[in-house]
Amino acid sequence: MTSHDLNERVRAAREEVESRGETFYPGPSRIHLASFPPKERWDDWIELDSTAWPERKERRFTLVPTTCFNCESACGLLAYIDRDTLQIRKFEGNPEHPGSRGRNCAKGPATLTQITDPDRILHPLKRVGERGEGKWQQVTWDEALDDIAGRIRLAVQEQRHNEVMYHVGRPGEDGYTERILAAWGVDGHNSHTNVCSSNARAGYQFWTGIDRPSPDFANAKVLLLISAHLETGHYFNPHAQRIMEAKQDGAKLIVFDTRLSNTATHADHWVAPYPGSEAAIILAFANDLIQRGRYNREFVRRWWNWQEYLAAEHPDLEATFENFEKVLKEIYAEYTFEFAAAESGTDEAVLRDIADMVATAGTRLATHNWRSAGAGNEGGWQVARTLFLLNALTGAVATEGGTSPNAWNKFVPKPIHTPPHPKVWNSLTWPMEYPLAMNELSFLLPHFLKEGRGTLDVYFTRVYNPVWTNPDGFSWIEVLSDESLIGLHVALTPTWNESAYFADYVLPMGHGPERHDLTSYETYNGQWIGFRQPVLRAMRERLGQPVSDTREVNPGEVWEENEFWIDLTWRIDPDGELGIRQYVESRNEPGTKLGVDEYYAYAFENSVPGLTGAAADEKLTPLEYMRRYGAFEIQSDMDPVYERAVPEAELEDVHENSLGRVFTRTPKPATTNIAPHAGPEGDDEGRRPAGVNVDGKILRGFPTPSGKLEFYSSTLAEWGWPEYALPTYIKSHIHRERLDRDQVVLISTFRLPVHIHTRSANAKWLNEIAHSNPLWVNPVDAAGIGVRTGDLVRVETEIGHFVVKAWVTEGIRPAVVACSHHMGRWKLHDSQQGSGTATANLEHHGSNWRLGRTNGAGPYKSDDPDSSRIWWTDVGVHQNLTFPVHPDPISGQHCWHQAVRVSKAHPDDRYGDVSVDEAKSRSVYADWLAKARSADQHSPDGTRRPFWLMRPLKPPKEAFRIPGKNATNSDCHE
Amino acid sequence: MAFYVAMELFRALAVLAEPPTPETKRLAELLGIGCPPTGDEYAELFLFQLYPYASVYLGPEGMLGGEARDRVAGFWRAIEVDPPTEPDHVAVLLGLYAHLAGLEDQASSDREKAALGSARSALLWEHLLSWLPVYLDKIIELAPEPYRRWSEVLMAALEEEAQRTVLPQTLPLHLRVIESGNLQKDTGDDVLQAVLAPIRCGMIVTRADLARAARLTGLGLRAGERRFALDALLAQDAPAMCRWFQDEAQTWVQRHLSRAAWLPAIAGDWAARAQGAADLLGGMGQDAAGVQAPSAVPSRMEP
Repeated sequence: MTSHDLNERVRAAREEVESRGETFYPGPSRIHLASFPPKERWDDWIELDSTAWPERKERRFTLVPTTCFNCESACGLLAYIDRDTLQIRKFEGNPEHPGSRGRNCAKGPATLTQITDPDRILHPLKRVGERGEGKWQQVTWDEALDDIAGRIRLAVQEQRHNEVMYHVGRPGEDGYTERILAAWGVDGHNSHTNVCSSNARAGYQFWTGIDRPSPDFANAKVLLLISAHLETGHYFNPHAQRIMEAKQDGAKLIVFDTRLSNTATHADHWVAPYPGSEAAIILAFANDLIQRGRYNREFVRRWWNWQEYLAAEHPDLEATFENFEKVLKEIYAEYTFEFAAAESGTDEAVLRDIADMVATAGTRLATHNWRSAGAGNEGGWQVARTLFLLNALTGAVATEGGTSPNAWNKFVPKPIHTPPHPKVWNSLTWPMEYPLAMNELSFLLPHFLKEGRGTLDVYFTRVYNPVWTNPDGFSWIEVLSDESLIGLHVALTPTWNESAYFADYVLPMGHGPERHDLTSYETYNGQWIGFRQPVLRAMRERLGQPVSDTREVNPGEVWEENEFWIDLTWRIDPDGELGIRQYVESRNEPGTKLGVDEYYAYAFENSVPGLTGAAADEKLTPLEYMRRYGAFEIQSDMDPVYERAVPEAELEDVHENSLGRVFTRTPKPATTNIAPHAGPEGDDEGRRPAGVNVDGKILRGFPTPSGKLEFYSSTLAEWGWPEYALPTYIKSHIHRERLDRDQVVLISTFRLPVHIHTRSANAKWLNEIAHSNPLWVNPVDAAGIGVRTGDLVRVETEIGHFVVKAWVTEGIRPAVVACSHHMGRWKLHDSQQGSGTATANLEHHGSNWRLGRTNGAGPYKSDDPDSSRIWWTDVGVHQNLTFPVHPDPISGQHCWHQAVRVSKAHPDDRYGDVSVDEAKSRSVYADWLAKARSADQHSPDGTRRPFWLMRPLKPPKEAFRIPGKNATNSDCHE
Repeated sequence: MAFYVAMELFRALAVLAEPPTPETKRLAELLGIGCPPTGDEYAELFLFQLYPYASVYLGPEGMLGGEARDRVAGFWRAIEVDPPTEPDHVAVLLGLYAHLAGLEDQASSDREKAALGSARSALLWEHLLSWLPVYLDKIIELAPEPYRRWSEVLMAALEEEAQRTVLPQTLPLHLRVIESGNLQKDTGDDVLQAVLAPIRCGMIVTRADLARAARLTGLGLRAGERRFALDALLAQDAPAMCRWFQDEAQTWVQRHLSRAAWLPAIAGDWAARAQGAADLLGGMGQDAAGVQAPSAVPSRMEP
C-alpha cells in the first residue's frame, strides 16, 4: 500500500470519527496536550492500576470535572471516579478549563488527601461544656438548622439585623452567599480582605473604579511583578503558565521581592528593596518616563482626568494639556534614581536599566501587585497606585500585553434571584473611622466588640480561621470565648481549625469536589466561567440515579453550602411572612425550595452568552454541558472597554458636566454579567453616568466619578486626605527612620508554595512536602547575634514574642528577616489528630497569654495507613499571634510588616513558644486608630463613605447618611 | 492534494512515536503495522536504545540538546511558533510537518502557500532528512515488529516527500557545521566519544550493538551507560574492538549509499563520515595491535 493509500485510510477514519463529535487522536502531546484523555472518552476511561504493578490490571473510570477549592485561582480538576466502586481515585487537570488549561499545582491533586482525610469532620457537632473545652456532641442537621434559623429569625424580627454576621475567608464563589445575606436584609458580610488585598484594591480602585488588576501576561513584552506569581501569587497557576509563555517569547521579567523567592530566581531583574520603599522606586521609573518624554502623550491626554486635577489644584492655570505636562514634570521631579536607590538600598544602575526596559514596553507592559509590598506597609496601597501609574503613562491599559481592570476579564452570570441590598449599615464592619476602607475592618472586630460597639447574636465563620489567620489571635480567642459578645458561633468548615475549637456548632462542609459553586477570575485577557460540582452527585446522575441532596453522596453528613444556605433561609422564614423566603423559592414549582439544579440551570440558560448554543451543538442542555466539561469560555481577546462608543440609543436627554462626564436618562441596558465594579453616581437631576466625552466622542470610559483614569482622586482629596490624592510615596510604618537601632523588619506575608491558609492543615501530601517556617536571616545578621541555621531565636514584636528556628541565608537582605505565615497550626487536644498540627496548651493570666507546644506532628493509627508513616514532627510556629493590629488609616488593610528584635533564644525558650500581652495589643490598636480620619469629621457630604466606591453589600443612600448629619454637599460628583 | 497527503499520514506517524495509548491500536490497524506496540516495546526502543531526538544524531556530543537542538528550535522561531520543550523530538517534528502541510493546504493566497511550502521544504530537508533515514534504518534493524513497520512506512513517506520537492543545492546546516572527516586520530578520548556520536562517525551505536560486539569478540560486557561499557571493552581488547568498529563502519557506508538514489548528497555525506570512521578505527586497531604484540624486548619478569 502506498503512502497515499495509507493517508486516505487515515483521512477517512478521522473524518468518520470526527463526524461523531469525537477526537480521532489528540495529536503529538508535546504540541497538543495529548496526555489528557479525549473528552468524549471521559465516560469510560481505562487506565492501568499502578498499585497492581507488575500485573497489568485495567481500571475503568468516569472523569467528572470540578473546580479546585484550594486557592482562589479556581483551576479545573478532573475527578477520576472508579466505575466499580464509585470512589474518587485521583484528580488531574481539566484540559477544557480555559484558565488553567489542564495544569495544576500540587494543591489540586492533593484534594484527594483532603476528601479522604481520616480526621475530617463528618457530622454536625454541638458544643457541650465551655467554649474551647473540646467537648462535643453529634447533632442532626435539623437540630442545628432550627436552632440557628430561630435565632436569626428573632434577630430580624427584633430589628437586630446587625447582630448577624458571616465572616468568610476565600469565597470561592461569585456572590452566592452575599445574596443570601441580602435576602435576610442583614449587612453582615465580613471578609478576610483587609488582611489580604485591600491595599492593592485601593490602589487600583482609586485609578479605575475597579479593584483588581488583570495583566495579560502571555502577550506582554515587559512584566513587572511585585509579588511571587510563579509560586504562590494570586491566580498563580493560570498566571504563572502565561508568564512563562511570555518569557519563552522573549519578554523581560522584573521582580521586586525582598526575599529570593522562586519567582525572583526566574527574573531578568530581581530587585530586593528595603521593605516599603517599592513605591519610591516605581516613581523613579515614572519620573524618568515623564522627564524624558517617553510616556504615551496621547493616551495620557485622552484618558487621565488631568483637567479635573488642574481645576482643583491649579485653578489659575489655563486647562491645557501642555500646562498639565509642565506640572507633571514638577510633581515627580524629586523621585530621582539616586533618591530611589538610597531609599530602597538598591543599585541605581540597575534601576536605570529597568526604567529603560519599562520605557520600551509600549502598551505591552503587564504589571501586578496584590499582597507582598502592598499588604505589608502602611501606605502600601500606593504601591499598586504607583505601579498602575506606569501603565497609565505607557497606555498599557486593557491592551494586548497590558494590564486591564479585572471586571472586563470576568463574567458573573446573573442568578435566578437578586435580592435588594440590605437597608441597614453595620458599623462593626464599616466603622466611621475608615470611610475609604476597601473592605470590612474584619480584624478589628474583637477590639470593637470589647469597646462595646455592638454584640453578635449569630456569627458564622466559613473557610475562615481568624484565630490563626488574623493578627492578634488571642484577642479573637477572648471574644470567641465570651458568650456575652458572641452569642452563637457557627463554624462552617471541612476540617478542624483553631477558631472552630471556640464554636458552638461545627458544621461539616464539603471540599472542592463535594460542593457547587460558580467561579470566574481574571486569569487572562478573556472571560470564562468555571463550575464546581459534587463529582459523585454528577456521577450518580450520569448513571440515572437522581440526587436531590448532596449529603446523599458526600461522606458522612458532609453538606454543601448552596443547599445549606437555601435550607437555612427557608427555615428563617418558612411561611414567607418576612419576605425572605421568596429568594430561595423555586420558580418552576412555586412554594417549594429552590434546588441547585434549577439555580444553575437558570444562570447557564439565561445569563451566559454562547453557552446555550455550545451545549446544543452537543445535544446537551447548558447545565448538562457544564456538568460534563466544568468550564466555558465566553470571550477571549477582549478589547479596551473604555474605548467603546456609547450607542446613540443610550443617549437620551444627556447632560455633560464641565469635565466631560456624560449623563443620560436612558435606563442602564440590561446585562447578564454582574461582575462587580464601582458605581459612580448620577447627576442631581436623576440621570445616570453613561460615558465620557473624549475629543468629541462619547466613550464608555471607566467606572470612576470622572469617567477617566483618576490620576487625581477627588475622593481622597475631599475625604480628608488631599496630600495623597495623587500617586505618591508614603513612608511605611517600618521605614528605617521609625525603627530603633536594634530593630529589624519582619516580613510575614509570603506563602509556602504548596499550602493554603487554613485548609491544608490535614493534607498529608502537602504537609510532607512543606511543614516548617524557619526565620530567614542574612548571614551578616546571624553572625551579629551568634546564631546558625537550626538555632532557636526569639523574635520580639510590639506585644510579645515567638520562638522559631533560624535559617541563615543570602536569600534575604540584611536588617530584614522573613517567616512564612503558612505554618504553625495547633490544636488543643490530642484527639484531634493531624499531619500538620501540633498539640499546644494555652495559658492565660491577666492580660498575658502564652501558647506552648506539647507535641509536634507524629504517626498515629487511623483508617488511613499513611497516618502511621508520618515522619516529621515540625509543623512550624504560629507567629501571627504576636502581631498587633495595624489598620492602614485609608484603605483599612492590616499592614503586616513588623518591627522586631531578634536574639538568641533565652534558656527557657522552647520551639513554638508564643507569648503576648493583650494590654499592649490594645494600646497599639489605639495608636493606629488615632491615625484614621473619621467620616464624621471629614465627610464632605454628611455620609459615612463615598457612595461610588465598591462595597460587597451596598445599602441604599439613606443608610450612608451619618446619623445627626445633614447633607452638606451635593450627592453627585460634578 | 500533495500537502494534504503529508498532513494526515505524518500526523498519524507522529502519534505513533508517542507512548502507546488506546488510540494507538486504531492507528496501527489503519497503517497496517499489525499489532499495536506495547508500552514496554516503546520504552525499550525509545528510552533505552534509540533516543528519538534529532540532537542526539546531529550534535557533536551525541547527546540531547546543545547547538543541534538550538538550530531546530531556531527553525520554530523562524516560522514564528514558540518552540515546545522538546523541539527536536521526532513526534514533534513530524507533527510540525503535518501542521505546516495543513496550513499550506488551507492558505488563502499563492504567496502564503509559497511561503508555507518553503518552510515545509526547509523542515523536511534540514531537520528531517538530515537524520531520520539513518535513524529509521537502525530502528528497522533493531526494533520489534510494530516499530519496524512504523519505520518502513515513515521511510517510504519521507522518500515520497523528498522526491516531490526540489532537491536543495546545499547540505543541511547540521551536516555542514560538523564536517565529515572531523575525527582526529591523535585525541584518543575524543575518538571514544565520537564513535558514540552519529554525526561524527557516520553510524549509530546502541547498547544492543555493544552487547553484540561483546558477544562477537568474546569480551565481557560491563553493565552501565554506553561510554562506560565501551571503555571497558576497549580496555579488555582494544585491537579487537577497533576491528569490530571498522567492520561496523564499513557496513554503515553501504547502508548510507543504499539511499543515494533519493538522497544523493545527504547519503553521500553520511557515507563519507562512516568511511572516515572505518579508516581511523582501522588504523587505531593496527596501532593498538602493535602496542599489544609480544615485544622484542625481554620482560624484566623473565628469568
